Amino acid sequence: MCYCRRRSPWLFHMNSGSCNGCDIEIIASLSPRYDAEQLGVRLEGSPRHADIIVITGPVTRNAVGAIKTVYDQVLGPKAVVAIGSCPATTNVFIDSRTLDGPLQKHIPVDIFVPGCPPRPDAIVQGVAKAAEILAEKGRIGGSVDGAIKPQAIIEVQP
Amino acid sequence: MNIFTALARLLIFPGVLFAVPAAWFFLWVERKAVAMMQGRIGPPFMQPFYDFIKLLGKGMPPRTGIAGTIMRAWPLIAVASAVGAVGLLPVLPASGGFEGDLILLLALLEVPSICIIAAGFSSRSLFGEIGSAREAVLSVSYNLVFLLAIISVAAAQHTFRLEALAQLPASPLRWLGVIAILVCLPAKLHLNPFSLPNAEQEIYSGPITEYAGPELAMWELSHGLEWVAATGLVATLAAPHVTLWWLGAIAFIAISFGIVLLLSVVAASTARLAIDTTVRFYWQCTLIFAVLAISSALLLRFKA
Amino acid sequence: MNILTMLWKNLWGGSRTLLFPARPKVTPRFRGLVQFDRTRCTGCAICKMRCTSRAIEFKTGKGEFTWSYDPGQCTFCGRCVEGCKDHALSQESACPPIYTAIGELKKAYTVARKPPAPKPAPAPSVPTQQSNITSGGAQ
Repeated sequence: MCYCRRRSPWLFHMNSGSCNGCDIEIIASLSPRYDAEQLGVRLEGSPRHADIIVITGPVTRNAVGAIKTVYDQVLGPKAVVAIGSCPATTNVFIDSRTLDGPLQKHIPVDIFVPGCPPRPDAIVQGVAKAAEILAEKGRIGGSVDGAIKPQAIIEVQP
Repeated sequence: MNIFTALARLLIFPGVLFAVPAAWFFLWVERKAVAMMQGRIGPPFMQPFYDFIKLLGKGMPPRTGIAGTIMRAWPLIAVASAVGAVGLLPVLPASGGFEGDLILLLALLEVPSICIIAAGFSSRSLFGEIGSAREAVLSVSYNLVFLLAIISVAAAQHTFRLEALAQLPASPLRWLGVIAILVCLPAKLHLNPFSLPNAEQEIYSGPITEYAGPELAMWELSHGLEWVAATGLVATLAAPHVTLWWLGAIAFIAISFGIVLLLSVVAASTARLAIDTTVRFYWQCTLIFAVLAISSALLLRFKA
Repeated sequence: MNILTMLWKNLWGGSRTLLFPARPKVTPRFRGLVQFDRTRCTGCAICKMRCTSRAIEFKTGKGEFTWSYDPGQCTFCGRCVEGCKDHALSQESACPPIYTAIGELKKAYTVARKPPAPKPAPAPSVPTQQSNITSGGAQ
């Protein structure tokens, strides 16, 4: 079961106010050169179908409710990948009045893929890592909500 | 056929035991063919199996009351009828059917579409309703052509029995019917250019938006079984008549595979058409085809 | 019919995909993580002023300063590198790595301030010596 979870990560992509640079790179990671489908990745249309939520953008105040709703709609076991430096630390928008903090404030995040925007191969690597974390979560505690960090954090070398 | 043969056909061959791996195989072939034609490596071979097992392990959203039970029932009905449809296919010639099993096959092939429409409406989500409405319009459009074509081929030969149809000599009317059915298959199987109910950019997965986990696994399985049943139906009509039983079975499977590849080429080379273009296509262009087929069938019948 | 020839060529031309762990090489001018050369930095803090996203922080102490950099905050624009007059900063041509906890990649360096260059001793105002002093000061 954990093996199957790792081999079939289904994504749901959500944009919480980003400049769309990272979104374009996510679509590029499904293009022929970087082909995320070789890992079994499918971009799904509904959050109920997906395992991994891929979030871009610094979290604007309007998007906070939407992010929380979508996070609750995804059924466990689930993983969250924050693409780009905006969801991790709000990047250049650090003092903006329309933002509501980094993403970690609202939902537990498992993987951060840095870059502005990150390269598509970095995004594919991040999704593969998230699939492994998903398999770990399934092994540890069934359908658990909330991020459980695995024991060993393996640093991925570029 | 007695109850034991019926159960064997339903459960073993070509029933559940063979249909479900065949469904996964056909799903993989379609994804891989589309990927290779787009210059990518597609998913690995066991991918639909991994998807199925993973979905079985996910949580299910809480569903309360009678509406929830009805929602839970639709995917199961869809899978059951699709398995029944595959079980009726005459993969081995002279495998014993009964008079009128073509009608039963058509009815069982329709049930998954009806289940999707009903599921979209009963999920009471906006996207589900829009998707179901589109699927219903699509169903009305292609079904007319589909049924007219099949009935014309069957009526011309005075038989509604599948294995008798499988062993018919070739005739132009039969090829006309086969081409008309092939034109309807992309709509039935939700492929481009008629993949409207699955328009992700617009309606977030359409009718099955609210389903998750094991229910979604059942929907995917019913989709795969629909593939097997629909391509098997066309293979029944198109396969040449061979005397050796195993050669006939191999020809059947090979022609099904060829149809899957043909549909993949069509899916990879076209874009999604909007609903008005789709309906116009089926009512204006292909209806002529079907009317031609049925009128020539009736004429042949009265002549013969 | 062009699409069919294109599909045919794709089918027989093989896939253009990179098999998963393989990654493409980045170009030499790729702007990756900022590298700090402690031997060259003089602590002017121009990089902190120019940084667009406050990824660089600068704390002064007695005779030393701490330069810290958070790649998670960085937007890899290169303004700090362009502005550094001592050429102590450069950007590596590699993709920044993935991390799982905020602040994991933060780096901080404490550098002792170099003592300033000794001023040449003031000499009585003689024209030749004055030109000597001015040339010494300019250095």
